Amino acid sequence: MKELSLNILDIAENSVKAGAKLTRITVDETEESLILTIEDDGCGMTEEILKSVTDPFYTTRTTRKVGMGIPLLKMAAEMTGGGVEITSRYKDEFPDSHGTTVTARFNKKHIDFTPLGDVTESIATLIQGHPDTDFLFTHRTGDKTVTLDTREMRAVLGDVPLNSYEVICWIKEYLKEQYS
Amino acid sequence: MTVEALTEYGFEAICMPDPDREITGVYIGDLLSWVMGRAKSGDAWLTIMSNINIVAVASLADTSCIILAEGVTLESDVIKTAEAKDINVFSFSGSCYDAAVLLSGLL
Repeated sequence: MKELSLNILDIAENSVKAGAKLTRITVDETEESLILTIEDDGCGMTEEILKSVTDPFYTTRTTRKVGMGIPLLKMAAEMTGGGVEITSRYKDEFPDSHGTTVTARFNKKHIDFTPLGDVTESIATLIQGHPDTDFLFTHRTGDKTVTLDTREMRAVLGDVPLNSYEVICWIKEYLKEQYS
Repeated sequence: MTVEALTEYGFEAICMPDPDREITGVYIGDLLSWVMGRAKSGDAWLTIMSNINIVAVASLADTSCIILAEGVTLESDVIKTAEAKDINVFSFSGSCYDAAVLLSGLL
């Protein structure tokens, strides 16, 4: 991927597919490093499946044989000297606390570091595609924090769907304002 | 030309499970997500990337073979996967440009 924000989109889609009610997307940046964490309360994975998710020939899709989300994220992280860690609690074993957490570490100073790119666009795309699940986005850079919590928006908006045109425009503006 | 004929022109076969596959074009690129969407079925794909993901990308894009330029080689488990997934892989000592120039005269 030319931008990490596209990887974020890919991984968060997996969370939604796993039935997550809330997906927390966190980007923690310092001068040297970027840590991306995507944590969901979806159905989780068994040990066996967890072992195979970094294999590009493993996929939950039925339309094709190959799944590239995690493998590409892992490669992007490893190219900078970082890596990816995945922990998961499967719903059958942890009925009250299931879910998956994907953590990717990047060394920003490495020449092969992929820039984060337009993360505002990715978050808006996610919400637009999945208006009925919740996302908590947090981007910390030094002493600055950008956040968006769809649960708070829902409380204010009532019955207005999150994927309505005005809401998506507002989300983009709201994030842009925080970044500026 | 078929992928098997490549061996006569300085391309060294790392694995060739499908030697009769016809090469119909060439694509050059190392950004796998980009290659996935742009390489055409039948292309010989020139790259310097060597991790397991290239086998998946070649399989998705249905390229006729992967050609690893600059003398890049593969780990044995990657070769095993390529063999199992019917993906032809070659190594070439020159650059991607050198390989492309050579292929341009052959296709």
